[in-house]
Amino acid sequence: MAYEPVLTKFVNEPNSYTLDFYLKHQRGYEGLRKALTLQPNDLIEQVKASGLRGRGGAGFPTGMKWQFVLKDTPKPKYICCNADESEPGTFKDHVLMERNPHLLIEGCAISCYAIGAKVAYIYIRGEFFHVQEILEAEIDKAYKAGYLGKNILGSGFDCDVYVHRGAGAYEAGEETALIESLEGKRAQPRIKPPFPAVAGLYQCPTAVNNVETLCNVPLIVMNGAEWFSSIGPEKNGGPKLFCISGHVKRPGVYEASMHTTLRELIYEQAGGMIDERPLKAVIPGGSSVPILLPEQLDTPASFDHIQKAGSLLGSAGLIVMNDSVCMVWLAMNLLHFYRHESCGKCTPCREGSDWLFKLLRRVEAGEGQPKDLDLLFGVSNNIVGKTLCAFGDAAATPVLTTMKLFRHEYEAHVREGRCTLPASWRAEHPIFAAH
Amino acid sequence: MDSVTLTIDGRPVTVAKGKTVLQAAIESGISVPYYCYHPGISIDGSCRVCVVKIEKMPKLQTSCSTLCADGMVVSTRDRDVVEARAGVFEFLLINHPLDCPVCDKGGECPLQDFSYTFGPAESRMDFPRRVFDGEGVKADVDFGPTLMLNRNRCILCTRCVRFMKEIDGDAQIGIVDRGYGSEIATFQEQGVHSLISGNLMDVCPVGAILTKDYRFKSRPWDNPGVVDTICTLCSKGCNTSAWLKAKPEWARGSRLIRMTPRYNPDVNGYWMCDIGRFNYHWIEGENRLRRPMMRGSAGSAAQAAPLEASAWHDVQPRLRDRLQEAGSGGAFHFLASAHASMEELFVLKQLAEALLGGDAMKSVSIGWEATEKPQPATTKFKVPVTDAPNVNGARDLGFAVGRGNEGPADLSGLRKAVEAGTVKALYVIDPAGPKGSLGDISWIAAARRSGALSLLVVQAVVTSELTEAADFVLPGSAWVEKDAIYTNDQGRVQAASRAIAPPGEALEDWQILVNVGRSLGVALPYESSGDVRRALAAAMTGYSEAERLAFMRPVPASTWMQASNPSERWKWDFLFQDLPPTKGHNVQMEGLPAQATPFIPLKPVQ
Repeated sequence: MAYEPVLTKFVNEPNSYTLDFYLKHQRGYEGLRKALTLQPNDLIEQVKASGLRGRGGAGFPTGMKWQFVLKDTPKPKYICCNADESEPGTFKDHVLMERNPHLLIEGCAISCYAIGAKVAYIYIRGEFFHVQEILEAEIDKAYKAGYLGKNILGSGFDCDVYVHRGAGAYEAGEETALIESLEGKRAQPRIKPPFPAVAGLYQCPTAVNNVETLCNVPLIVMNGAEWFSSIGPEKNGGPKLFCISGHVKRPGVYEASMHTTLRELIYEQAGGMIDERPLKAVIPGGSSVPILLPEQLDTPASFDHIQKAGSLLGSAGLIVMNDSVCMVWLAMNLLHFYRHESCGKCTPCREGSDWLFKLLRRVEAGEGQPKDLDLLFGVSNNIVGKTLCAFGDAAATPVLTTMKLFRHEYEAHVREGRCTLPASWRAEHPIFAAH
Repeated sequence: MDSVTLTIDGRPVTVAKGKTVLQAAIESGISVPYYCYHPGISIDGSCRVCVVKIEKMPKLQTSCSTLCADGMVVSTRDRDVVEARAGVFEFLLINHPLDCPVCDKGGECPLQDFSYTFGPAESRMDFPRRVFDGEGVKADVDFGPTLMLNRNRCILCTRCVRFMKEIDGDAQIGIVDRGYGSEIATFQEQGVHSLISGNLMDVCPVGAILTKDYRFKSRPWDNPGVVDTICTLCSKGCNTSAWLKAKPEWARGSRLIRMTPRYNPDVNGYWMCDIGRFNYHWIEGENRLRRPMMRGSAGSAAQAAPLEASAWHDVQPRLRDRLQEAGSGGAFHFLASAHASMEELFVLKQLAEALLGGDAMKSVSIGWEATEKPQPATTKFKVPVTDAPNVNGARDLGFAVGRGNEGPADLSGLRKAVEAGTVKALYVIDPAGPKGSLGDISWIAAARRSGALSLLVVQAVVTSELTEAADFVLPGSAWVEKDAIYTNDQGRVQAASRAIAPPGEALEDWQILVNVGRSLGVALPYESSGDVRRALAAAMTGYSEAERLAFMRPVPASTWMQASNPSERWKWDFLFQDLPPTKGHNVQMEGLPAQATPFIPLKPVQ
């Protein structure tokens, strides 16, 4: 089944990011023009009908999120675009913003119109310096061309889009932490409720949407809800970007429908495994989700199918690992990340992620004792579900999932006092310095 | 008021709408631990020890951030809750130095108490603990002029951060770094500079923030008594507790060991300022007046003679003679500080009226100071300008107080009269220290030295330029040394209780005035301050409740645990349920039935 990309069709063309290119090749701002002729409510209904689900990780229906945004309030409303793409293994929004920024800008404007906001903030990850430059330059062009600013296309609708670059915190990708950061505070999650739809940015009703989600909005408006939902399985419609990394021949961002199986993504799109080594494990949705095994590769990469298989599609960051990867090392690597990125607000996550890392480092170095394995399990379970945001669960998942599926590797480390797997490639690619 | 009824641990609990599950549990005496929650500041939901299970909710919920709803079924003893809670306590202690034996919070530490109650029996942590500034005493770093900080002990509840932001109004404390490396800090390590910084020790649930004043001075078990009283250092009248350390009388150091605020929603909330908290050392200081003093021993020629300590029974007749001499000329004047209590001013008024007749009120001046306190404009705890507790009381008694609590007293008229020599004899009453409370009154001493004043009687508590110049010095009592009532800037009549006895031969000020009056033949039929209050309550409109005010005495450990640590008092209220009830212990005025002054009954001697 040949799939025609819509989000990333032109990303390899030179100048694909420019306004002229967008207008010429992608029916640029037609969606906005059409949206402005509709009633905001009809627009929300259309997005609901399309079944668009949030591409940031949770897969929450976007139309419903917009519907929850308080209507009867004198306060201003806001769209916050979550461009803090920080999940390890995820790099799809980067491509969209760098190579197709006007799709996002148009999506922001339409979304603002739909929920009655006049301002959209694009909260961009701290490390995306050059992407910010591109985005801001293209936003300027959109202003000059009348697609943003006052009285857009003569409709009377005003909309401003600002780019705000974070300081480089993983936690700022959590929607309430993103809002806190945008307000100039530490990026730490808020207590929910109230949800951002009721009291978000500056305590005003706010919708926080992922870059890819907003990029889909102009397509839905232009091509209709049926077109959108016809791509992919039921309730998992629309084009989807997959970030494939790890031991594959052609790592990269691939656009596909959610009918596509993991096997197709890895062996067809990404060209298969390097050196044809056997696949040992794949993390299907960014580092925070449970591992899937080779026998589960025929699962379609949709929100629902992956969940049924025991994992989550998350941000669709597939991390593919061959048989040389030590799972204890994997967990330690990921915990090194999580203990560094824990915002430190909730006790279990702050203290637990550090403790887990220390235990994993000990076990990985072959200095662990049998009790350490029980401890890893116990500490992880003391974090899961005990924190304000999903970070705690995310931090414990790598430990729990590797212990569940590869406990024998942990036991081998303890028993042998060293890693029993060939580790030559790791020596060639030191990922982080132990400290 | 709308109320909701929910079930906690099988018990139906009815609370006002808008309360959280944690508040409902605390109110109904159900044990739920908490750290980041403090009733006086906003909810953070970060410490995670207050988790409970609520039916129909998939995950455990933090009770501090969950509003009560009708029909909610809450469990605090479910197996999941018990295990989750113990897990969080284990996390809290993996990096907390277990230096409780040398920590000033030890013995009154919520982390200690709750860990014993809810935590696991032992920790599984076998890695070295996190260390910030150093181990042991090196961990204590300067945290501004009043505080010390120990980051190793900090559990990052952020109460201090929120206190500074929300109550002080100047968010000087923040958290720097992230995750396991998060630490409490101030900008460029400048420390906390605030007029209400001492409250940070109270809000800190561990020994991370300590006041320099109390640090290393005492331990909870060394403070066997605490007295609920009020602060009288300004017109606010914060409700406080005076802590007493047990020590032999001959040992160095003081018995008064610290002042802490006591919850009163109408006056001071949970807080008090640093002036009231730290300015008590003079009470047992070197400069206290302990014995009456007078000059020479022979007649009016004795002006040049030095002041000599004497006995009341020697001073009394001499003072009578000099006062009679001065009073006959009609140039006699009283100057009383607004630090004088209602009882003292009431007796003074009667004394003045008996001695001076119709012009009595003109012959009494009330003095006080006023200083603008540097505070952020957004502060929620405003320290008033008036540095005296009883300006409104003086007004209620009919004394001229000018603009009252809006500014300092105007003593220029008195000064003119004294310097012109129309006032020949002056009787000053100032029961405040350490520098007195009347402002710059060097002109009085100058007038006495120059002879413009021929008689200066000073009834005070500390030595000063004024007492040096006086003919008679009568030692009075500080506010913690007497049962007395004061009327604050809201017009609220509050009781200050006697915590310690006056030093040496010092007497309560009302008693001195009564004695002086009696020696002059004025009938002042009072044997106790209670007698004065009864008379006052009968004589003055609006003061009928005055005689029913409850005065406190030092209470033992079991009681002060429940009653006297304001930030944690809710905790004590339910944690020590098996102890005798002390509800209402700190409520002094409203709706309290008449209560006899508690005292220890004497045992008959066989």
